[in-house]
Amino acid sequence: MGDLLLMLRVELSKVFSKWRTFIGYIAIGILVPIIVVAMRAEGVSYFAFATQSIKDVFEFQGNLLNGYTVSLIIMSTMFVHVPFLVTLVAGDILAGEATGGTYRLVFTRPIPRSTVVTAKWLTSMLTAVMLVAWLALLSFGLGIPLLGTGEVVNIRSKITIIAADDVIWRFVWAYGMACLSMMTISSIAFLLSSLVENAIGPIMTTMAILIVFTIISAIDLPFFATVRPFLVNNHMIAWRYMFDDPVPWARIYTSISILAAHIVTCFVAAQIIIRRKDILT
Amino acid sequence: MNIIELRGLRKHYGDFHAVDGLDLTVQAGDVYGFLGPNGAGKSTSIRMMMSLIRPTGGTIRIFGLDLTTNRESILRRIGAIVERPDFYNYLSARHNLELLGRMSRADVSRASLMRVLGVVGLDHRAESKVKTFSHGMKQRLGIAQALLHDPDLIILDEPTTGLDPQGMKDIRDLILTLSAEHKKTIFLSSHILPEVELTANRMIVINRGKAVVEGAVQDLLNAGRMKVTISTPQAQEAAVLLRSTHADANIQVADGAIVMLAERADIPHIVQHLVQSSISVERVVPVRSLEEYFLTLTKEDRHG
Repeated sequence: MGDLLLMLRVELSKVFSKWRTFIGYIAIGILVPIIVVAMRAEGVSYFAFATQSIKDVFEFQGNLLNGYTVSLIIMSTMFVHVPFLVTLVAGDILAGEATGGTYRLVFTRPIPRSTVVTAKWLTSMLTAVMLVAWLALLSFGLGIPLLGTGEVVNIRSKITIIAADDVIWRFVWAYGMACLSMMTISSIAFLLSSLVENAIGPIMTTMAILIVFTIISAIDLPFFATVRPFLVNNHMIAWRYMFDDPVPWARIYTSISILAAHIVTCFVAAQIIIRRKDILT
Repeated sequence: MNIIELRGLRKHYGDFHAVDGLDLTVQAGDVYGFLGPNGAGKSTSIRMMMSLIRPTGGTIRIFGLDLTTNRESILRRIGAIVERPDFYNYLSARHNLELLGRMSRADVSRASLMRVLGVVGLDHRAESKVKTFSHGMKQRLGIAQALLHDPDLIILDEPTTGLDPQGMKDIRDLILTLSAEHKKTIFLSSHILPEVELTANRMIVINRGKAVVEGAVQDLLNAGRMKVTISTPQAQEAAVLLRSTHADANIQVADGAIVMLAERADIPHIVQHLVQSSISVERVVPVRSLEEYFLTLTKEDRHG
């Protein structure tokens, strides 16, 4: 345990000394304030546009354009891009050592390889979770002071309106599941990073996997329908179910299990690969 | 006490045998020269000793312990440079040493890090990022990280590559100091043969993954034929005389002297023969460079 904490400290020190680690935080730090301010300025027309197909049937009353709703909108729109920001760290964390020739420094220290890999994996997971936490902090931290609180309007295939006092626990679950999704992406990039000697490969390959899975999911053919339940991208968006009423818990637990299985599989595979790897760089 | 024992060490990549049954023994206090041409298997052997690559066969015992079952306790007592001195370029020299020192359970106080940086002459650049360093400066930093945790065994793979003449001398002096005053055992892989000649007490020459010769440096230098320069005012006469008795000695005349190949034990007889033939001998200089010896050995091995 002592070795693991030591290596975790070393890895965090290295990761947060790199410029690329902050790209994700900077990107979110720029985009979220822009979206919140824009919503405050022109949110009414945005909301009218989003509800134009049903405005003749329903009458909306109260503060529906509030910090909660905007946080949900931000999460929905940015969740497509956050995986790329997550892979910037995880894709580099092992391959970067190979590229820089520093595997020779790390693996000649009196620390077991498995401990080094575990510390690096934990660092990747922490940076992924911190990125989601940063997104949540900015969304709520700016959204609520600027737009106040109120009911959440969740417009998907159906409209769900959730009372203001019923929202917080749903967001806690949603952000928790978003963390799990980003940890899954991070674990895939981590596994790919253990295989190659250049960080670009894992980053691009992880994104390519997500794009291919998304395309397969979008094609409505019987063959794809059989594989669709196992594709990770379909479970990464399970956090959205937290804003359905009632919450489809069985579906959520299934997604959590599948995401967790991906994380464990990638971690164990990376351990085996690095343990057997001859360091030739 | 044997510090390093390699027995039948092998590393095969398919049909290519990078290291093929290497045996060597390094004793406590040795400065052990590890010589061989490019591709001889030196770096592969060092990587196996540092557990960076897994041997195909054979055993590695360091400090009397088997490396496969005692990896961490062995590595705790070794400081090493393995090939190029690569570091985290985005960190300063001191920050690099601090992280590496933590991993080796070394004292990473600022005073300790600055002391080690001072040993290799980099204390004035402690806060500079490594990406601004020249190759020679990285090489010095590589030595600093190898010394950081006060190891008993220091493995140096081409430690003077990229250094200027003064830097090379500084490293040679450092090796001699570490050996003589701090009683460290040093395993020195080098292409710069005079470096081994000037610092090592024992050495091995390997080629194509196998040991060609191993022993005390002085014994190996004194064994076999060496180049002898005999200064005489009658160089032409001396050459004619010696060619009749030493036909295979490759005798040549240059600058008022003859140059020939001879066994060390045969030199007094040659001088006596010249004097008895009324040829005055002003000076005899036997020269045995490790470089010549090394080239002879590896050439013989290539043809053998």
